[in-house]
Amino acid sequence: MKARPGFDPGSLVSGVIIIVLGLLLLADRTGIVDLRFDYWWPAALAAVGGVLLACGLAGPPSGRR
Amino acid sequence: MTDRPDIPDDHDHDSDEPAEPRDDAAAAPGAGDPAEPRQGEPAAGPSFAAGDPLPDEPGAAGRHDPRDAREPLGGAPRDPLRDDPERPVFSFATPDRPPRRLTRSSSDRMIGGVAGGLGRYFDVDPLLFRIGFVVLTFAGGFGLLAYLIGLVAIPSDGEFKPQRWGLARTAGVGLLACAAVATVTPHWFWGPGVPGLVALGVVVYLLVRVIRDEGGSRLAGAAARIALAIALTALAAGGFAAAAAGSALGGGIFIAGAVIALGVALVGGAYRGGARWLIVPALVLALPLGVVSAADLKLDGQWGDRTFRPAQTADLGGGYKMGVGHMQVDLRGVELPRGRTDMPVKLGVGELEVAVPRDVCVTYDVQVGAGQVTTLDDIDDGGLDVNVEGAASAPRGARELHVTADVGAGAVRIGPNFVEEAGGRWRDFGSAVTGPGALNAACKAAA
Repeated sequence: MKARPGFDPGSLVSGVIIIVLGLLLLADRTGIVDLRFDYWWPAALAAVGGVLLACGLAGPPSGRR
Repeated sequence: MTDRPDIPDDHDHDSDEPAEPRDDAAAAPGAGDPAEPRQGEPAAGPSFAAGDPLPDEPGAAGRHDPRDAREPLGGAPRDPLRDDPERPVFSFATPDRPPRRLTRSSSDRMIGGVAGGLGRYFDVDPLLFRIGFVVLTFAGGFGLLAYLIGLVAIPSDGEFKPQRWGLARTAGVGLLACAAVATVTPHWFWGPGVPGLVALGVVVYLLVRVIRDEGGSRLAGAAARIALAIALTALAAGGFAAAAAGSALGGGIFIAGAVIALGVALVGGAYRGGARWLIVPALVLALPLGVVSAADLKLDGQWGDRTFRPAQTADLGGGYKMGVGHMQVDLRGVELPRGRTDMPVKLGVGELEVAVPRDVCVTYDVQVGAGQVTTLDDIDDGGLDVNVEGAASAPRGARELHVTADVGAGAVRIGPNFVEEAGGRWRDFGSAVTGPGALNAACKAAA
C-alpha cells in the first residue's frame, strides 16, 4: 500500500472500523438490535484486529517515517 | 549472493573450502585486496563462500566472520558480546547495523516506556503496542500483566534524568485534596473515605515515583510497581464503571455518538498526516460500552444491601429494582391468589435472592448478562448471556408465581429454603431440607 504524502491509510481504515463499531453500539442503545456477548466479542476482536492490521500494513504515519 | 549450500557442522570441511585455518582478516571478502575478489563473488559487500557457515549460525563461532573485516588489524579491542562464544545465535545484528537491545524508552514514554521501547526495537509505531496493552487490559487484564512484566523485565535505556518531587509538595497537594473532599462530602469522608484516601495517596505517591524517578532502592521500585498495578487496575475498572454509569443515565447513546465522532475525526485526520492517537480513546469508550450493552447493565436504582418483604399481593405490582448491591426479596409471607401472579425483579450488578413460598408453583424467566443462576428446579447455569426458563407449568386454577429476573452481572438464586443469618444475609439450603427434586413440588402436585 503506497501512501500519498500527508495521507495515512492506517487512520482511514481505523476510522471506518471505529465508525462501524460506533454504529453497532448506537443501534443497540436505540433498540434496533439487541447486542449480546455472542455477537459483541467477535465484533470487538475483529475491530481491534482490523485496526492493528491496517496500521501495521500502512506503516508509521508520514510524520514519523 | 551465491546460493546457500547445506550448512556443515564444525568438523565438516570436505567441501570446496580448505580444511586448514585461514587468516580471518586476509580471508574476509573485501578486507584484503579489494581488486582481487574471490572467484564467483562480488567484490564489495558481505558474501560467503560455498560451504561457509553463515555468521550467526552454529559452527560460525571462532571461524570466519565478514564483520571482522571492518575492524582494524593488529589486535584492536573487540566487542566482548560479539566474541562471546556463548552469546545467543539469533540476533538482529547485521553488518550495517549494530546489535539492538530491547530497553524501555525514556524519551517516548507514556508511563514506563515499555511500548516506546518495543516500538523502537521492532521498528513499528509504539501506538500499536499501546493500543494492544489497553485492549488486553480490558480483556481480562492480560495487557496490564504484560505491561508489568515488561516494566520489571526490560531495563530502562538509562537516559532518563530523574526529577524528584518534594515530599512536602506531595503532602501539601494531598492535604488540599482531602480538605476539598471533606468539604463536599463530609459523611463519606469520615466514614470509609479516610482509609480510602490514604491508600489512594500512597498509590499515587508511589506511582509518581516510578514514573518520574527511575532510581531508588529495589524495594522502593517493587513497591512502586505494585502501586502502578493497582492504579492501572483501578483505571480499567473505572473505565467500565464510567461507561456503565453513563449508559444507566441514558448516556449510552452519547458515548456511541462520541465513538462515531472519533471515527469520523480519524477518517478526516487521515488526509492530514494521520491522527492515530484517536484510536485509543475511541476503543476505551467503545469496548466497555459494548460490554455494558451486551450484559444489558442498568445501574439506575438503589445501591447497597436491601431486603424486600412484601406483605400482600398488591405490593408486588411494580416489582422491585436496584442498581448495584445485594438484593433479597422474601415472598414467603405473601398469600398469593389463585391464578398467575407476576413479579418482575431487576438488578444491575450484584446478587439477587428470591425466597418463594413452598406451596406455590413457581415459574420463572431469568436473564443474566454475565453470572450464575440457581433455581429451585435444580438448575445451575452460569457464564455469559445466561437465559433460564423454568420447565414447570402450573395447571389452570393453581396458584402460580412467575418471577421475571433481569440481572446485568452477578448471581441469581430462587428457592424456598433461605435462612437468615447474622447480619441479615441469607443462606440457601436448597434441596438439603426438602430433598432433591422436591423444591418446586407445588407444580407437580397441581399437575
